[in-house]
Amino acid sequence: MVGREANRSWIGRFYLPVLLLLLFFIAVSTVYSVSIGQVHIPFRQSMNILLHVLTGGRLGSLNGIEESYFNIIYQIRMPRVIFALLIGMGLSLCGAVMQATVQNPLADPYIIGISSGASLGATVAILIGFGSGTLFANFGIAFGAFAGAAVTSVAVLLLSSIGGKATSVKLILSGVVVGAFCSSFSNLVIYFANNAEGVQQVAFWSMGSLAQSSWEKIPILSVVVLIGCVLFLFQHRVLNAMLLGDESAVTLGINLSVFRKLYMILAALITGTMVAYAGTIGFVGLIVPHICRGLFGADHKRLIPATLLVGSLFLIWADILSRILIHNVDLPIGIITSVIGSPLFIYMIVKKGYNFGG
Amino acid sequence: MKLAAKELQVRRGKKEIIKNASVFVKDKQFVGLIGPNGCGKSTLLKSIYKSLTPHSGTVFLNNLDVLSSSEKKVSQHLGVVGQFNEMSFDLTVEQMVLLGRTPHKKLLEPDQSADYAIVEAALRRTRLLDYRTRSYLSLSGGEKQRVILARTIAQQPELMILDEPTNHLDIRYQFEILSCVKQLGISVLAALHDLDLAVMYCDYIYAVKDGEIYAHGKPEDVLTPETVEALYQIKCQTYINPVTHRLGFAYGI
Repeated sequence: MVGREANRSWIGRFYLPVLLLLLFFIAVSTVYSVSIGQVHIPFRQSMNILLHVLTGGRLGSLNGIEESYFNIIYQIRMPRVIFALLIGMGLSLCGAVMQATVQNPLADPYIIGISSGASLGATVAILIGFGSGTLFANFGIAFGAFAGAAVTSVAVLLLSSIGGKATSVKLILSGVVVGAFCSSFSNLVIYFANNAEGVQQVAFWSMGSLAQSSWEKIPILSVVVLIGCVLFLFQHRVLNAMLLGDESAVTLGINLSVFRKLYMILAALITGTMVAYAGTIGFVGLIVPHICRGLFGADHKRLIPATLLVGSLFLIWADILSRILIHNVDLPIGIITSVIGSPLFIYMIVKKGYNFGG
Repeated sequence: MKLAAKELQVRRGKKEIIKNASVFVKDKQFVGLIGPNGCGKSTLLKSIYKSLTPHSGTVFLNNLDVLSSSEKKVSQHLGVVGQFNEMSFDLTVEQMVLLGRTPHKKLLEPDQSADYAIVEAALRRTRLLDYRTRSYLSLSGGEKQRVILARTIAQQPELMILDEPTNHLDIRYQFEILSCVKQLGISVLAALHDLDLAVMYCDYIYAVKDGEIYAHGKPEDVLTPETVEALYQIKCQTYINPVTHRLGFAYGI
């Protein structure tokens, strides 16, 4: 039999250098992302503003820079690129974790009905609303989306636990069923809504967008995503055991049904937060873990760090493209991720080396 | 390490799959579990290694109460080579075998050079040293089973449970796997299909029929024509094989 290497890719042999290179690319892309957009700001000026902000005013002179330029960079582009970085990381992480948790290469962060639950919540918030003047009116869509995501993921977990262990098949099926239920409800609300602007807003929201990024939202998002990342960086033993299935994992001392629920809840929390702020951004959580597995193998000790970095880089570039692809149009980022994602996926299917884990 | 599984009872719905079965393995003894397909061998083993919770009965490994101890604690002493080892994601052979160290590791503990040495020794024992970087899923059935055995060896168990480890394997692999296990010199409880293999490797045999222990004893005492006929519903005569001088079986005569 001809030897077939599991770490077929030559890139996989240079794991650490590749990670460092990815970090470097992320840094460069972040700077680039800040410097470009629909308003043309000279590169030197944007760098000065960036330096000024990063060093607290010690470096980078603001002399001769228009205040509107400063505001665009500081208030719009910087939070936006941080959003892209964090959400790219979070979605890819949750994708990799979900794929291991349900032992299925088709899983993504939305597999347990989170996206349709969040959509329902957002739809209700947009079209029915929580009333003006109340506390919720301020949070509005984000609150609705998060509540929807939370409720559906709990529902899916409960549904899949009926009659004993929450197996991966039961989880996937419960996710599909609860998802369908939520979508039909969203559609019902949309159908009876007499609010063309609201309906358009729902459509826009469900395509995913980073346009609502702001500094105020960054603390919650970064705490949730970064804590999730750090936690899962140290879960590689359990995640690897998950790949073997329930039966073998038990004989290695790991009770999967406990960890499966725990990971589902954590991933739901992270995804719910991201969805609340940026809508449902498709494909990232599905494809980034597969790209990384193709490059570095399925061992989560190597996979998770790589996934985090590739995920950020991917979304930073998707965001850059969404802003510059069509002049004066800020495309929903979900469109871009699918447009880049699908051909990449097709390439991976066509390429012989990688067979999606199986 | 001694295993004492007493009066185990397993029900699935209303059906009793295991009825009051007791199995004992003495220190360093190779014990075989034989019986027809569907008689409850696998279920009995699963209820011993905590994959299934029996409705009543006790399981002890020396003084360790298996049913009330954590999976991790049990897996530090008990290794299992199961029947199904397919998965949806691929690992290298070495990564797969390294997973055998999981029970001995705290969550954040890195793999030490000692762990890699144990993995290397396990790979050598199973003659897989050249397979290290090979993809697990690209291996043949016999090779996969050797990887699983290597993983279980790396787990350094004092008792190994084998659930029909030689299913679908050709004769050479059947011998290889069982000889390798025998050479480990630990306690073994193995469900086996092949009566000739059972005679060859087992010190003691439990015959299971309809979820009950039908007979138990030394292989030559248990494997009488009457018992084999009762177990498998097939005519059988036994003889002493002139070449191996062991018990042989002639079926359908």
